[in-house]
This record gives sequence, structure tokens and C-alpha cells, in this order.
Amino acid sequence: MHTTNQSIIVSGGSRGLGLHLGQQFLAAGNRVATFARSRTPAMDDLAAQYGDAFHFAALDAVDAVGVGKFVADVARKFGAIDSLVNNAAIGQDQLLMHTDPATIQNIVNVNVIGPTILSRAVIKRMILQGGGNICNISSICGSRGYAGLSVYAGSKGYLDAMMRALAREVGEAGIFVNSVAPGFFESEMSSVLLPEQLATIRRRTPSGQLSNDANIFNVVDLVISGTTNMQGQVVYVDGGITI
Amino acid sequence: MKDRHKTMDRVAILAVMNSVLAKRGRAAISDEAQTTRAANFRSLDFSETALRIEMQIDRELAFDAASMRRIATVKDVIDFFETATRAP
Ligand SMILES: NC(=O)c1ccc[n+]([C@@H]2O[C@H](COP(=O)([O-])OP(=O)(O)OC[C@H]3O[C@@H](n4cnc5c(N)ncnc54)[C@H](OP(=O)(O)O)[C@@H]3O)[C@@H](O)[C@H]2O)c1
Repeated sequence: MHTTNQSIIVSGGSRGLGLHLGQQFLAAGNRVATFARSRTPAMDDLAAQYGDAFHFAALDAVDAVGVGKFVADVARKFGAIDSLVNNAAIGQDQLLMHTDPATIQNIVNVNVIGPTILSRAVIKRMILQGGGNICNISSICGSRGYAGLSVYAGSKGYLDAMMRALAREVGEAGIFVNSVAPGFFESEMSSVLLPEQLATIRRRTPSGQLSNDANIFNVVDLVISGTTNMQGQVVYVDGGITI
Repeated sequence: MKDRHKTMDRVAILAVMNSVLAKRGRAAISDEAQTTRAANFRSLDFSETALRIEMQIDRELAFDAASMRRIATVKDVIDFFETATRAP
């Protein structure tokens, strides 16, 4: 473990990758705060196991006032915010021509506006604290084309671009901003993929395997550890499918 | 209920600027006529000063990069925040 004794916000930690990240960071002796629209039984389990070291709020990532209050609550409860992992997102499984405008708007709201307002609120705290780490969970879709994922891909490309600008903006204040871009991994989001599609992805992946939660955690753990001097980078965790 | 009309005077603004410089291990401002460059007061110091002032007056200050670019001296910074924090 590289990250210990930090106060970490992981957005969308109720299930999938976000849940795994939260569990692992807690097990390594960190304090973790997370939010999602709905509470899952796993949130009750973590609250029971870790007490005050864990904080959950039922919150929509696009609720700017709620996000501001969440960040203030976490800062009060944990005393500081050392790292932020922008993980919450929604997927897409439609060609653009068949995606209705309301769905497009929703993907942009959750995947673009959400991490932007959360980062803004957290950066204000980090500047006053004198440093911190931000890690965006991006995707290989942000830099490679996959049909049926156009708006989602655009939102991930946005995250990577914003990350680089922010690294320039706040790097001098000791804030490190980076992205981790996984390839496809098993979760509710990727459950739309058919077994044949997964087999094709595996075949085209030099390592021969899809990434899993543990692979991605290991990289995020390093990225937010504050030990790397890595700034403004996208790290691909994809078995080499994008090379 | 938050007090929406808290303001800050020039002495308090200068004190915030100096506390930001002290945090970075830099010397306090000796003369308002100094350029920000000569005072070693950089753009992130300006941002941190703004955030600290926001906390003290309990509201967000909105300003664009263009108005910040017109700032040349320490006096300009203090004038800027004095105006920005003035009660609506
Ligand atoms: N799965 C993949 O193959 C894959 C590949 C590359 C990158 N990624 C990225 O990895 C990250 C995690 O993906 P995942 O597969 O673990 O997703 P997931 O299983 O669908 O989980 C998404 C999490 O985000 C939360 N969330 C979604 N919309 C929200 C909103 N409006 N407000 C607050 N929370 C919200 C969800 O909770 P609620 O629904 O209750 O709000 C849930 O906790 C995402 O950024 C995704 O883009 C995934």
C-alpha cells in the first residue's frame, strides 16, 4: 500500500470500482468519504466496520449545493481532504443518432459537470491546506474510438483535458492532478457487453486479460500517494489494448 | 442564518496577504506601492488570499482573470479586494 492515513473522497463509492477503492483505502488505514444517489448495503457494512473513518451521503453528483455541503461536512469530520478520486460516472450504450437529447444532457451533467464542481470545491480546501492529490477515473474511450460510446467518450476526453489544465493551474500549490484510464472491466456499467464482445476485447489485448478492480486500485493507490511527482498524466490500465 | 454583508477593511486584507506569504516562508509586504512581483506575491497567492477572504466574509467572490491581469501593485490587490468585499 502506498496511500495511508489520508482523508480521501471517492465519488460513486456505493458499488463497482468506487466501492472497491473505498474498501481498500479503508483497509489501509485511510479515512474515506463517498456519495452516490442511493445507499447500498455495502455502505452500511463499511459504516459498521470503520465507524468515524467512513462517511457516506446520498447525493446526486450534479447537485452543486449538495456537493458543496458534502465537501464542507467531510472537511469538518476528517479535518482535511488529502485526496479526491473522481470516480462516479454513467455509461452509454447507443449510437449517437439513437441517443435522445435528454440522455446526452444527463451523461454530460453526471460525467462532466459532476467531477468539475466536485474538483472545484475540493481544490479550494486543498489550496488552503497547502496540497493534495486528485485522480480522475477516465477511460480508454477518452483517447480511442468505440462505437456506441460517443458522448461517454467525449466526457472522458474532457476529464483528461481538464486534468491537464488543472495540473498547470494548481500544481504550484502542491496539488497533483492525474487521470487513471482503465480498459473495460467487469461492473454494472460494462454488463451491457456481450460475451462475444468481451472475447474480442480479450483477444485484442496484449496481456490477454481485462483489467480488474485490484489492478486499477494498485495504480490509483500510487497516483494519490503523494510520492511520485507525477503531474498532469493519463495512466492507462488496459492490458495494452490502446498501444 | 449567514451574515451576507460582512466586509473587510484594508488592514484586514493586508493581514490575510501577509499570512499567505508567511505560509510560503516569504517576507511580509513592507510597502503598498511595491509591485506584486517585487513583493513576491504570485497569482496562486492571490487565489489563496481570495479563498481566505471568502471564508472570513462567508460568501464567494466572483471575478474574472482579466480583472486580475490589471493588477500591478500591492495597492491594486488591496483595492481589488476592498471593492470585491464591499457590501452589496
Ligand atoms: N466498467 C468499465 O468497463 C469501465 C471502463 C473504463 C472506465 N470506467 C470508469 O470507472 C468508473 C467506475 O465505473 P464502474 O464500472 O464501477 O461503474 P458502476 O458500477 O456503474 O458504479 C458507478 C458509481 O457511480 C455512482 N453514480 C452514478 N451516477 C451518479 C450520480 N449522478 N451522482 C452520484 N453518484 C453517481 C453510482 O451510484 P448511484 O447509481 O446510486 O448514484 C455508483 O456508485 C467510472 O468513472 C467509469 O466511467 C469503467
